[in-house]
Amino acid sequence: MKTGFNFAYLDEATKRMIRRKILKAVCIPGYQCPFGGREMPLAYGWGTGGIQVTASIIGKQDILKVIDQGADDTTNAVSIKNFFKRVCNIMTTDRTAEASLIQTRHRIPETTLNKDQIIVYQVPQPEPLRKLEPKEKETRKLHAYKEYALMHVKLYEEISQFGSVIKTWAYPVETNNRYITDPTPIPKFDNPKMNNMEALQLFGAGREKRIYAIPPYTKVKSLDFDDHPFEIQTWDECCSICGSTKSYLDEIIINNEGKKNFICSDTDFCKSNLEKNK
Amino acid sequence: MNIKKIMHVENLTHFYGNQIGCKGINFDLYKGEILGIVGESGSGKSTLLKCLSGEISPSAGKINISLDQGGVKDFLSLPEQEKRQLMRSMWGIVHQNPRDGLNLRISAGGNIAERLLNVSEKNYSFLRNTGKYWMEKTEMDSDRIDEFPLSFSGGMQQRLQISKILSSNPQIVFMDEPTGGLDVSVQAKILDTIKSIVRDINVTMIIVTHDLAVVRFLTDKLLVMKDGIVVETGLTDRVLDDPQHSYTQLLTSSILQV
Repeated sequence: MKTGFNFAYLDEATKRMIRRKILKAVCIPGYQCPFGGREMPLAYGWGTGGIQVTASIIGKQDILKVIDQGADDTTNAVSIKNFFKRVCNIMTTDRTAEASLIQTRHRIPETTLNKDQIIVYQVPQPEPLRKLEPKEKETRKLHAYKEYALMHVKLYEEISQFGSVIKTWAYPVETNNRYITDPTPIPKFDNPKMNNMEALQLFGAGREKRIYAIPPYTKVKSLDFDDHPFEIQTWDECCSICGSTKSYLDEIIINNEGKKNFICSDTDFCKSNLEKNK
Repeated sequence: MNIKKIMHVENLTHFYGNQIGCKGINFDLYKGEILGIVGESGSGKSTLLKCLSGEISPSAGKINISLDQGGVKDFLSLPEQEKRQLMRSMWGIVHQNPRDGLNLRISAGGNIAERLLNVSEKNYSFLRNTGKYWMEKTEMDSDRIDEFPLSFSGGMQQRLQISKILSSNPQIVFMDEPTGGLDVSVQAKILDTIKSIVRDINVTMIIVTHDLAVVRFLTDKLLVMKDGIVVETGLTDRVLDDPQHSYTQLLTSSILQV
């Protein structure tokens, strides 16, 4: 463990402030709580929000897993994992089932999370209405008064132009029948996993300085129309490594002729699946 | 016949600092009635309309409204949420400049749908059909439902704005110079459209204008304003044919005779 730092990098007062905000966020599912975001030794956009949430809830007994687009071995995931190893001296793992704390960027693991786990999302833009209404003052009112027509107008526009909703990531959800929430840029494939999840879901946005949460067993509904129900992505192919047909697949171009391969985006799931099938 | 009073305005007054916006306005509005407010620029018409539609809160006075559900309410003491909800569904404003009332980044159909989505309508085909229905009703080409408002002419944009407001079947429609800035032939066509729709759906309207032709054509009752106060009021025909106040006489005699 690196000396000269407090446990988990942040000082205790800051951690307490963030924990207080997390409690508030858990009490009001989907509501974005402002918090005093700190400078982290990481550029904005690389997970400063997620890292602060993780830092303030991590304990010595925790086993941490960090993923980036489902993979454990990508730069962002490896760096954040190393960071917490240095400032907390804690165990890390690649195995979803072993982890007590999972920080993620852009995916929810395929393995179902349980009630002893917490998942922390890195959030680039916490406000789902931002692109539809640029004024913060106005978006806060829209949330407060539950005036969400704008969001459905966007879906209407996509159906009228393209025949179906074409938004495939950061697909807006309604949390606990109340707040419209940005699920972060996860593929819409992962949206159903958020519904009634056993694990606590925390969201941290560093640049925008917002924390929000979805408590365990909370209803999370992807927005849709009665006659155009929400659907997730499907593939004709299966994973070319483990043969899975149930997981989210990444498309990989493997030669100059444009030959394509599909592989699981969740590396841990792919490995376990391969071992199981051997 | 028992006609329902849906708005009662008493001593409505608004000051901008020391400047009078409008002062001591009294009137009653009945269901299905079309009320015209005329006067020259700066006479307080727009201030009055803004007070009535909740855009500004007046310095003094009372506005009682009676809703389809919920009985009589004191409009000015309604919480902001309820005022916004009213404006988004049961009431509506048609602005002089259609760009103030339309969202230019979304299609014509989307604009109409927004109004219906405010009242939690979540069926796509219904939104689509209602959009087309109202576009045809306001004499637009419903094939252009997916085009953006900027590709429409000024007159068409105004028609679109009117369809948007009427699509949610509002109780009261406020119109602020609905035909201002349009050329005479387009004005006439739009007035025609408004008139035929109004007869159809029995909507209550308050129209602010400086154009006497518009009030004669559309309105039942008239308030004539000058320097922030109402100088004359009555049935439109009576006021225009037999003006009592010197300002109204001036107004009616200053129509250009060509």
